Amino acid sequence: MKIYSIAFQSLRRRKTKTIFLIIGLFLSVTSVVTLITVSENINRSVAINLDEFGANIIITPKSDQLMINYGGLSLGEVSFNNSQLSDNDLQKINTIKNRKNLSIIAPKLFETVNLKGKNVLIAGVRFSDELKLKKWWVIKGKSPLPPNNILVGSNTAEALRIKLNDTVSINEQRLVVSGILSNTGSQDDGLIFMDIFTAQTLFRKLSKLSLIEIAALCYDCPIEDIVSQTSSVLPTANVTPIKQNIESKMMAVHSFERFSLGISLVMLVTSFLIVFANVNSSITERTKEIGIFKSVGYRNSHILQIILTEVIAASLTAGLLGFFAGISASKLVLPFLSMHGLSSFTYNFTTLPIAVLLSLFVGITACIYPAIKASRLDPTVAFRFI
Amino acid sequence: MSLIEIENVSKEYKSGTEIVTAVNNISLEIDRGQFITIMGESGSGKSTLLTMLGGLSVPSKGKVLIDDLNIYALPQNNLSDFRREYLGFVFQTFHLIPYLTVEENVMVPLAVGDLTRIQKKEIVHATLDKVHLKEKSKRLINELSGGEQQRVAIARALINDPLIILADEPTGNLDSKTSEDIMDIFGFLVEESKTILLVTHNKVYQSYADKKIFLKDGKIYGGD
Ligand SMILES: Nc1ncnc2c1ncn2[C@@H]1O[C@H](COP(=O)(O)OP(=O)(O)OP(=O)(O)O)[C@@H](O)[C@H]1O
Ligand SMILES: [Mg+2]
Repeated sequence: MKIYSIAFQSLRRRKTKTIFLIIGLFLSVTSVVTLITVSENINRSVAINLDEFGANIIITPKSDQLMINYGGLSLGEVSFNNSQLSDNDLQKINTIKNRKNLSIIAPKLFETVNLKGKNVLIAGVRFSDELKLKKWWVIKGKSPLPPNNILVGSNTAEALRIKLNDTVSINEQRLVVSGILSNTGSQDDGLIFMDIFTAQTLFRKLSKLSLIEIAALCYDCPIEDIVSQTSSVLPTANVTPIKQNIESKMMAVHSFERFSLGISLVMLVTSFLIVFANVNSSITERTKEIGIFKSVGYRNSHILQIILTEVIAASLTAGLLGFFAGISASKLVLPFLSMHGLSSFTYNFTTLPIAVLLSLFVGITACIYPAIKASRLDPTVAFRFI
Repeated sequence: MSLIEIENVSKEYKSGTEIVTAVNNISLEIDRGQFITIMGESGSGKSTLLTMLGGLSVPSKGKVLIDDLNIYALPQNNLSDFRREYLGFVFQTFHLIPYLTVEENVMVPLAVGDLTRIQKKEIVHATLDKVHLKEKSKRLINELSGGEQQRVAIARALINDPLIILADEPTGNLDSKTSEDIMDIFGFLVEESKTILLVTHNKVYQSYADKKIFLKDGKIYGGD
């Protein structure tokens, strides 16, 4: 038998006390783990779904003659004739420090043409990127794949009486309408989309671009960083963040994080008090026991060791149990909190050491004062209580 | 040279504004192997004297020398170690630890030593044999009778083979038949030449004593 065996027997044979001690710590660990896991999952789902909110950075050339309004946003003036952006700029953007945060880069070339007596704005796009950027698009027909296919916005289709699979002639190039965009309520309804390379060839603007849209997954780094990094590689361009696309969403996430932090603190203080009261009262009850240990020649440090071993063992147990309970609780509550429905639930095993350390921290800080007080108890006083 | 020497020892307690002198200027010498009985009315200072001898309670005045060592001049840790090596206590109310078994209770003083597990087991079994409790070694304390509990306490006091046994009314809570069993064990310890200080109200035990101490109001009075 060693000193710690005394502590273990005390935990084992005085079950009610032990269980109360563990429950005090367990509750706070569980709630902290739940809150951490829930906010992690919500943040992650925001990050994954961030591109669903469209572009959050727009790059336009600096010197311009015409105003263009795109996507309901004023983009400043865009030069149609003397485009200063080019395909080279796309490569430059891919050299910035936070390039991993750039989830979609969608270059565009705009050109007005006269079709059936009406001015129509043509947008040359990379369809692969554009479709990712505009997840809300509903296309009747096929999304255009071959270079001579076009996608027509609903208003334009109506105004020009263009139907699916019609052929449209632009600059003497025959193009097939492979898809018609359902009403989006945005500027896109008035556009005709075609492959950007086809547009560049057709309008003799090889490698020229009118603007570049970027969707950056930037939920934990400031979007300003990405903007300034991009500006420095493109000194002749305007790089404009579109904050309102993500800010309200981020605000919801951050306020949930603050709420979690608040609850965690309250739970920690509560369990600190539970453990403190528990250890303190059990030490008063154990006065006689401490007198016995002293009378058989235990040092103060031996007595402290017994009390601390008990608290540490209880804290470790509470930390482990609390971790798994917290993960399970998160799994239960997340579907009610997530607005996207939960595609996948993840939890982080780094939360386990956090849980255990937290439990130990609360356990030890709550018991250290009563424990030291107990170990210094005068044994003759201890025996007089009996 | 005596094993225990106490010189002009007093103990005062403050109770409210009043000062109670529990032990008043006592000097005493006890030789190795002596069997001493301490008698006196309730409140005469018997327990106080015993705890001062046992290094559990610092005298207000005077010195306690054991084996030529001024025990209250020792640093706290050394005093604890000294208690463990030299002294065994037996109390009226047994003072056993309820969540430990018989065997574990007896082993408590060994838990801080550096004997091996097997050595500890051997010593515990030999000691439990002395108090006739070998068969009950796995029992919890509350499954034992009062007499059995006191025998566990005696075994615990003996486990470190101490020079001195301090017993404060060990039979005070027991009926006369059980008391006799306990006193038989003390008789056996006397034969083993342990130095024993026994606080008792029972006059029968005086006849065995090498020295009888009578206390009254914290002072030694009469005796031999
Ligand atoms: N911790 C203490 N604080 C205050 N007074 C004390 C304390 N311990 C003992 N006393 C007082 O000192 C005196 C001697 O007490 P002590 O316990 O030594 O007597 P005793 O002879 O052992 O009595 P009993 O036979 O009842 O056990 C008593 O008056 C008691 O009230
Ligand atoms: Mg007494």
